[in-house]
Amino acid sequence: MIPLLGLLAGIVLGLVLEPSIPQALQPYLPIAIVAAMDALFGAFRAYLEGNFNDRVFVVSFVSNVLIAAAIVYVGDQIGVGSQLSTGVVVVLGIRIFTNAAAIRRSLFHA
Amino acid sequence: MDLLNQIVRQPVDPDYALVRARGERPVTHRWALAVTAVVIGAMFAVSALQTTRAAPALATERAELISRIQVAETQQDELRVRVTSLTGEIAQLRAAGLGTDDQDKALESQIDALDPVVGNVAVTGSGLVVTVDDAPSADTDTADQEGRDLVLDVDLQSLVNGLWSAGAEAVAINGHRLSSLTAIRGAGDAITVDYRSLNRPYRVEAIGDPKTLQARYVESAGGAWWNELAQNRGMRYEISSMKEMTLAADPGLALRYAKKSKS
Repeated sequence: MIPLLGLLAGIVLGLVLEPSIPQALQPYLPIAIVAAMDALFGAFRAYLEGNFNDRVFVVSFVSNVLIAAAIVYVGDQIGVGSQLSTGVVVVLGIRIFTNAAAIRRSLFHA
Repeated sequence: MDLLNQIVRQPVDPDYALVRARGERPVTHRWALAVTAVVIGAMFAVSALQTTRAAPALATERAELISRIQVAETQQDELRVRVTSLTGEIAQLRAAGLGTDDQDKALESQIDALDPVVGNVAVTGSGLVVTVDDAPSADTDTADQEGRDLVLDVDLQSLVNGLWSAGAEAVAINGHRLSSLTAIRGAGDAITVDYRSLNRPYRVEAIGDPKTLQARYVESAGGAWWNELAQNRGMRYEISSMKEMTLAADPGLALRYAKKSKS
């Protein structure tokens, strides 16, 4: 319940306050969002399997976002930023799909 | 492949299971969870907002650039019209300034003979109209740049050179008179004549001997070039003759640095 409420509150806050992201951080926001989605789906699956743990979720979210942003940052510095972003999106995308399929199976038994 | 397999086999953070196996009862970090959830939600909202904001801004920027180009082009047109009228004024003043003795008359007749040749005044006569355009397949946006059969600056150059070598005395492309100082160049996707970009289709008008101009043009290198383009690439290529046409003067014809030599 808390995560759902928090998500909604965050969306409302973002829409109302409209914080502006510094120009330097803007390229990392989409990648951070994909990493956050991966953490969310993983957490939800763990929750359904009865394994959910707040601490693990927070740590995995923060480290996912930071590592994804760091990979893209390093890629930008050496000139392969877009390729590395594609790599991050592919890997996280596979995980998101696999987790979503598992969630669907355990929710709907289908 | 092993890497991908591993990603598929272990999509959930293994720490969840590890912590569970250690039998730790979750220490409740409810506030941390809530903060993280709020952060994730805010990230979604901000990102979506920025993307939707940026789209109209980019569109307006583009529209503004286009309108600035159009303003500059109309300004250029006005200046060209002004140049043409000033050139006419110069001719009048020169005629008035030249006296009536033999030397002045000879000079004036020489000017009259040379002006149409170099493109300084408008000329009329019969001649050819060659209309060329990109191949029809070029209209589809999906075709990539490599595969598109567009009219290039070299194509227009060879066409015009063919007309000159066939005996054309005055040539204009889309109403822009060509002189010895006119450049036909490609700039980005557009072809420019006299630094003015052209719109398709390209209509090349040439005044010359109506009996021989067309036959000689078709036999020239430019004619052969375009015959090949039309047959193999499907580009539009139409030649028609015209009894009467008027080609405007070239307003860009002025020497800025070269001076008449003393001798």
